[in-house]
Amino acid sequence: MAGLTLNNVTKKFGAVSVIKGVDLEVNDGDFVVFVGPSGCGKSTLLRVISGLEDVSGGEIRIGDRLVNDVQAARRGVAMVFQSYALYPHLTVEQNMGFGLKVRKVKPADIKTRVREAAATLKLEDFLERYPRELSGGQRQRVAIGRAIVSDPAIFLFDEPLSNLDAELRVHMRAEIAALHQRLGNTMIYVTHDQIEAMTLADRIVILRDGQIEQVGSPRELYSHPKNVFVAQFIGSPKMNVVEAASLSAVSEIGGDLAGVVSVGMRPEHLTVTQPTDGLFRGRVSLSEYTGAGSLLHVEVPGSGTFLVLQNGPEAAETGAEIGLSIEPENVHRFDANGLRIPSSNSLKGET
Amino acid sequence: MTYRQQQRIKRICWVISLSIVAIPFVFPFLWMVSSGFKSANEIFGQPSLLPDVWRWRNFVEVFEYQPFARQYFNSIYIALVVTGLTLIVSSLAGYALARIRFAGSVLLVVFLLSALMVPEEVTIIPNFFLIRWLGLTDTHVPLILLPVFGPQGVVATFLMRQYFMALPKDLEDAGELDGLSRIGIWWRIALPLSRPALAAVAIITFLHSWNLFLEPLVFLSSLEKFTLPLALGNFTDPYGMPLWHLQLAATSLAVVPVIIVYVIAQRQIVESFAMTGVKG
Repeated sequence: MAGLTLNNVTKKFGAVSVIKGVDLEVNDGDFVVFVGPSGCGKSTLLRVISGLEDVSGGEIRIGDRLVNDVQAARRGVAMVFQSYALYPHLTVEQNMGFGLKVRKVKPADIKTRVREAAATLKLEDFLERYPRELSGGQRQRVAIGRAIVSDPAIFLFDEPLSNLDAELRVHMRAEIAALHQRLGNTMIYVTHDQIEAMTLADRIVILRDGQIEQVGSPRELYSHPKNVFVAQFIGSPKMNVVEAASLSAVSEIGGDLAGVVSVGMRPEHLTVTQPTDGLFRGRVSLSEYTGAGSLLHVEVPGSGTFLVLQNGPEAAETGAEIGLSIEPENVHRFDANGLRIPSSNSLKGET
Repeated sequence: MTYRQQQRIKRICWVISLSIVAIPFVFPFLWMVSSGFKSANEIFGQPSLLPDVWRWRNFVEVFEYQPFARQYFNSIYIALVVTGLTLIVSSLAGYALARIRFAGSVLLVVFLLSALMVPEEVTIIPNFFLIRWLGLTDTHVPLILLPVFGPQGVVATFLMRQYFMALPKDLEDAGELDGLSRIGIWWRIALPLSRPALAAVAIITFLHSWNLFLEPLVFLSSLEKFTLPLALGNFTDPYGMPLWHLQLAATSLAVVPVIIVYVIAQRQIVESFAMTGVKG
């Protein structure tokens, strides 16, 4: 096991800069999730760490070892691919032991380690099967097993659950979390699914355009987003961000409004009131029933559409006039550059 | 009429239609084999599908008339060596052109493909002068080298390149993380997954070499160095007229390896198609 240090890491493809000076410290045993929109460079960064892509600049250290020029197989990392990347011509057992065989480990040792990993992942009954004879979830477990067998310092996961159906994804997510607890290795996980990121990560790294926007625990990112991008990226449905000037009742939110250009309100923090009681009022343009509650699209004159999560079986109907209210401490304030403005009465513990 | 009966009638109609279509393809083959067992007189007598008297002796005379066993062996070993070398060269070159990024790789492919536009008949004379200059006339070397590195090799390389390009890149990345070198990835991942393409290249190459006529005709002069296509035209009487019963018996024998190659390679292709890629 080992930690990971990235110092001003850059990656260019020709003239195009994909990773633009990333600095990151990952502690030994951490579960770190890279998350960001498509094309933000999260998979490229993972491939640079793995050694599958050369680094264009900066330093990559695994533990204390500088690995910039170390080939992928000698970095002590194992990768689980989105496509599973199981060798179709080899059985499950051969797939899992392939890396050890290439490294000329004794066959008896290979067998022992493969059996141990198979037992951990409940794959004992499938060892003689070929990948084509397995379901998606089983294939992903084999891919994870192949990584476990090589006993890496760092596990790298490149969107490993993207090809699974929703139910299986939730199940495998729990399995990966349990695996991390059991093994205790450093794990770096790439996903574009922020629910996966929130549920798995000790720390989340949010990337945009090849740069880190913010690093922090899921709770930290949710409660203290550094800027509008992070605020809107974390949380589902995404945060409502409107120009402060467009909201007539913004002064009633309270607190110091100096320099506040936009304000953010999470859909789950907005509450539906009588039209006359709320901080502002609007008309429901769409009401989407989600089972536990409803997602309302509310047109607020001058401010655009607000998303509101209304819990419970009763929901405002489409076309209804409603009022919206929010606790002042749940309002996020942003300046002209989209950066968060700390506020005395906004969030507890905010600095 | 039930649905099941309708399907049955449909199936019978299909079988009858396909059988009729197959006649022009199968009949000449049966005629050739059957005539191989007839005497010369019977072949030109009253037409019959089966011989009146089965002349097994034709197949013995084929070997007595000229060094047919030697010529048969020549064809087999040349076709096998050409096939083997073509598989190695085309899979290596195809892999390099598909996966290794180097300046001018696309241009090189275009250049190779453009060479296919020149007919072999056009290059045979310069090739003959080259081979004679190298002192390799009346040897089997040109019959091996020209197909491997000539147009046939280019076609094989192009086929392999296209197949390698379609292989999932993740598998190679996984191989790299498992510690394989580039040549290791080619040997242990790319090649086993390319069995359909390899089988197709093997069939095409074997048949091309097996049927090669112009090059042996130009480069070979000794009877015992002849390959089958040359030898088959050599079953003639002293006046140069074909000895049909021997020619057809020899041709029937010449078909055997082709059928064997088809059976083996076809099974490989079908088995390999059963393997899927990385996900599904």
